[in-house]
Amino acid sequence: MAWERRGDNLYYYQSERVDGRVRKKYIGTGEIAELIAHADETIRRTRAGRRERERAGLEEAEDLASAANEVHKAAEVLARAELVAAGYRRHKGQWRRRRDA
Amino acid sequence: MLELTDGARARVRELEALSKRAEDGEEGARKELRRALRESAPEVIARCGGASRVYRRMLAERVAAGDPLAKEATVERAERMALELAGENPTPLEVLLSERVASLWILVELQEALLAAYYYKGGGTAVSVVLQMARLQESAHRRYLAAIKTLAQVQKLQGPSRVQVNIGGNQVNVSR
Repeated sequence: MAWERRGDNLYYYQSERVDGRVRKKYIGTGEIAELIAHADETIRRTRAGRRERERAGLEEAEDLASAANEVHKAAEVLARAELVAAGYRRHKGQWRRRRDA
Repeated sequence: MLELTDGARARVRELEALSKRAEDGEEGARKELRRALRESAPEVIARCGGASRVYRRMLAERVAAGDPLAKEATVERAERMALELAGENPTPLEVLLSERVASLWILVELQEALLAAYYYKGGGTAVSVVLQMARLQESAHRRYLAAIKTLAQVQKLQGPSRVQVNIGGNQVNVSR
């Protein structure tokens, strides 16, 4: 969306994507064009705000999911150590008791 | 607060390396691992246990969305779940693993709620955002199931013949 100056006049254009290419569409000039430009700007800001909220929400969800990764991994290491120390070994994803344990 | 101390981190690394050596069949590694577990496990478990509780409260706060009662109810429910999962006379490791399951349960609930919210919002939400939320939810669910499996394996190791002995006020679990 942009205003273009030709001589003393301002003309308002909208951009749209058609078959992967950006096409400029003439909207008009004067008061009507100003109203449309204002509406376009409101829509653009609303969309940007929503995208920002979505991005922040996603980031928060990712942070919450990974916040205790180190602690959870440590618990896993302890469990594995306990099993190995007790004479178990992993065989195709299953823990089995070693014969020599 | 959710991270290990440098000392605990070093002990975890040592246990990991020793486990690997013992699993590879290196002579004497298992004995060394048992010694390292005796020395290191209490500190690491204490640190992880503390961090786990902080994490649960953090998740519960997000689930409750500002409602203190809902937060306490979620924390309480998770703690009960951890207690039930740990069973009678749990070892400190079983307690820790049960608490991890309870934490991941809250995480799964939270991710499901967030994903549902994105679905309900309907049109307008970027597909990439919904897909990423779905991936997070799946990952949390996988980790939750893996944590249950690990707990079950450790509990199986303890066996039904476990007995509890109290020595000088300390609870000691012994496998017969």
